[in-house]
Amino acid sequence: MDRLYLFATLAGTRIAVETGEVEAVVRLTDVSPVPGMGAHIAGLSALRSRVLTIIDVAALIHGVASPRVERGLAIIADISGHSYGLMVDGVTDICRVPEGELPLRGQIGPAWAPYARAIVEHEGHPWLLVSLAAFIEGGALAQAA
Amino acid sequence: MVPSARIRGTMGMDELLQEFISETQETLEALAGEVVAWEADPSDRDRLDAIFRFFHTVKGSCGFLNLPRFERLSHAAEDVLSDIRAGKRVADPSTVSAVLGLMDRIGELAEAVAMGAALPNENDEFLIAALTTPSDATLTVEVEHGHAAAPVAVARQGGQSGPRTIRLPLSLIDQLMNGVSDMVLARNELSRKLRERSVDTELDTVFERLSTCVADMRDVISKTRMQRVERLFAAIPRMVRDLGRDLGKRIDLTLEGGDVEMDREMVEMVVDPLTHIVRNSIDHGIETPEKRRAAGKPETGQLRLEARQSGNQIVIVVTDDGAGIDTARLVEKAIAAGRLTPEAAARMSEADRLELIFQAGLSTANQVTAISGRGVGMDVVRANVERIGGLIALDNHPGRGLCITLRVPLTLTIIPGLIIRAGGLHFAIPRAAVVEILHDNNDTLQISEVGGAKIATIRGLRHSMIDLEDVLGMDKPVETGPRAIMVVRSATGVPFAMGVSAVDNHEELVIRPASPLVMASGVYAGMTLPDNGKPMLLLDAAGIASAAKLPTMIDDRAARQSDQEADAQSGVEMVAALRFEECSGERRLLQLSLIERVEDIDASLFGRSGGNAFVRLDGRLVPVANGLTDFGRDKISALRLRDGSVEACYPVAAVLDIVQMPMVPDMVAMHGHVSGVAVIDGEHLEVINPFALFASLPDGGIVERVRGRCLLADSDDGWTRDILAPLLRQAGQEVVMGLPDDAAVDPRDVLLLTGHDAAQTAGVMAGMIGCRIVHLRASPRAAGPQDSSIYRYDRDALMAAIAGGQG
Repeated sequence: MDRLYLFATLAGTRIAVETGEVEAVVRLTDVSPVPGMGAHIAGLSALRSRVLTIIDVAALIHGVASPRVERGLAIIADISGHSYGLMVDGVTDICRVPEGELPLRGQIGPAWAPYARAIVEHEGHPWLLVSLAAFIEGGALAQAA
Repeated sequence: MVPSARIRGTMGMDELLQEFISETQETLEALAGEVVAWEADPSDRDRLDAIFRFFHTVKGSCGFLNLPRFERLSHAAEDVLSDIRAGKRVADPSTVSAVLGLMDRIGELAEAVAMGAALPNENDEFLIAALTTPSDATLTVEVEHGHAAAPVAVARQGGQSGPRTIRLPLSLIDQLMNGVSDMVLARNELSRKLRERSVDTELDTVFERLSTCVADMRDVISKTRMQRVERLFAAIPRMVRDLGRDLGKRIDLTLEGGDVEMDREMVEMVVDPLTHIVRNSIDHGIETPEKRRAAGKPETGQLRLEARQSGNQIVIVVTDDGAGIDTARLVEKAIAAGRLTPEAAARMSEADRLELIFQAGLSTANQVTAISGRGVGMDVVRANVERIGGLIALDNHPGRGLCITLRVPLTLTIIPGLIIRAGGLHFAIPRAAVVEILHDNNDTLQISEVGGAKIATIRGLRHSMIDLEDVLGMDKPVETGPRAIMVVRSATGVPFAMGVSAVDNHEELVIRPASPLVMASGVYAGMTLPDNGKPMLLLDAAGIASAAKLPTMIDDRAARQSDQEADAQSGVEMVAALRFEECSGERRLLQLSLIERVEDIDASLFGRSGGNAFVRLDGRLVPVANGLTDFGRDKISALRLRDGSVEACYPVAAVLDIVQMPMVPDMVAMHGHVSGVAVIDGEHLEVINPFALFASLPDGGIVERVRGRCLLADSDDGWTRDILAPLLRQAGQEVVMGLPDDAAVDPRDVLLLTGHDAAQTAGVMAGMIGCRIVHLRASPRAAGPQDSSIYRYDRDALMAAIAGGQG
């Protein structure tokens, strides 16, 4: 259970992501918008010769697009053959957590419920363990359809 | 049968199993055609041996891998085939059917094992029994059909043994592709950085070498994506045979051009449309032997598939000698379906009627059959072909046959596209989808609004009109210039007008799939990453039409035609144009009047000077209009162009023919040497812009003699001949002894006089106004203050005088 986690803040919430899902964290420079799509699709961005679909995860959760100026870091992930960049507010740390995943406690907000899997304790705080694939497959695709 | 024939063993065993399965599947695919060909010619020993070897290998491997069902099936087939090899049995159609049945079952089992699924739990005994006893059971089947199945003849293709190959996972090749793409981008960036810095020829040379390597590498890697069209054809003989048997039709199949190569993904994309076309041909096209006899045709129908490469396209032609398309029935159906008014139908041309076949839900078939009537019509075929940037054309001969031509790009990833601007963003759209581009201040265009709907009337033809910004929910920025109106033809065949800010460019685009999130919007077909590093989306014409909820009622094209009758007299002005193939493979048009002649020129005559390409013709240097000098062959066809005074040479790969093209291209898209695109015989051809072509030539043509000559007047003088002339030649000057006969003197020429003959000097000067004259004197001292001559051994002064004259 000694897994490696990436700790980040997203839409004002502390989240943890299994590093197996994460390919890299990059600072977004240029995002070309994709008109005709919901707010959760921030646009396309080129990472070397790859094209990332940038997901505004905060918009996916709260339904309001992040202001353009606040676009900073994105977690790059490869989900079912396509490259995505998931926008986060900030990245705190990457470290091992000996205790691993703990079951969810308390009433999780309905906005977060589809994505949260468990709790990971780190530096005395609970961090919500989320799956990046769930954001794409569960959330974004459902909203796009 | 226990469904778990799969071995749960060590990794080694799993790998062996995988290898066995993929090999078996591949051989099966290749063999399907062979079996059918063998049936047509049972004496063909090579094919029999190949089939026998397959079963033998399967039997051997599955004994080792413990796959009892595979073993039983292959063992039974092997027995029968070895009897046939020994001449104890003949390969009658029922035996072949049984062998095919066994191969199918082995294929099913292999599929199940590959997916790790439970094996299909059917009885193999029946199949084996059919094989071993060619008796009543199979005979009754024959009787039901009324006659023996028609053997399908297959033209033999290529040799049996190929070059050495290895098996590689596709992911590895894709990774390689991505790596090379990254490399190309890094190269481009490096090139930009280098240009910003000071010129360093040494560095440039090294960089050039790197560029060449990267370009070569990209070419080679893209070849790994290529696959022979043979694979596309592999399943066809079997399908034709089986369908022919089921429907009681006799078909003679010819396959040609299997060695043409196309992109692996493209093969995948073409399989479905092609299969559907062949099914249609057999089901609806080719008649039963009785009907054919009644129509005075041979009982056996001809079906011919042919693939060839043409420029950067693959052309696949499917020809049958069946009944063709009954356009009258199509019209009836369209009227019955409420898609067409009888009045409009009456005015339709035959070509327009034929187009109806591409309308969703219209088919000439009386009833839905199991063969091709699966709710998939020609509309879907067309949509699938156009999605990959292809075209489909019909050549219908009612009662005599149908010829369907598919044109698809060589690779899925590169399509010709237009870059358009709307709402401050750039988008790409496949060029094949665009029929015409106009500016909204064009006189032939009239835009009106009715109840919120916009209608664009272009030369009497009404189109639904949308603005791209509205469809995509963008703000329309304030624009100063006129907007561009594009006539876009969606896959459903109803063209519509789309307004955008501007059409910017025309480019070959490398298209990659967009993520499912983006595709879900339905208006995008993919994306592309241009050199500027900003991703751009490729628009899907059909998707935009459906997102805008445009009506799909077929427009009354004939109405336009009658309206246009009068217009047609003044009509579209046509000019003769030469259709040719560029060295890079594209086909283009050039106005014929500019071409003086076409000739083959030695490639060695081409050269480059000061960044300009030229060719030496008849002792002159003629600029090369497209800048090519390297052809990789000895002779090259070249167009000799002339605009009255300026001459140019245009090397091409091949001269095709002379056609009539509209004076103004069907679609105006200025870009480099190209003025637009004209559609000739259904082919989109770029039209060379003669103005841009001549304007881009080096100023004043290439003057070989960039410096003046030295004319030595006293050619008889010993000093002049033996001392002055060698000195001047050594200094790089062109020396002419004596005066040119035709007295053609360039102002940059320098006339050198040794000065002791004043009369000669005066005479010469009279004839050469504007040419500089240098007098040389024998004495070191000047004769007087008026004497401007130069002492003949004062080398520096002499050179300065000559150089000064040549400016």
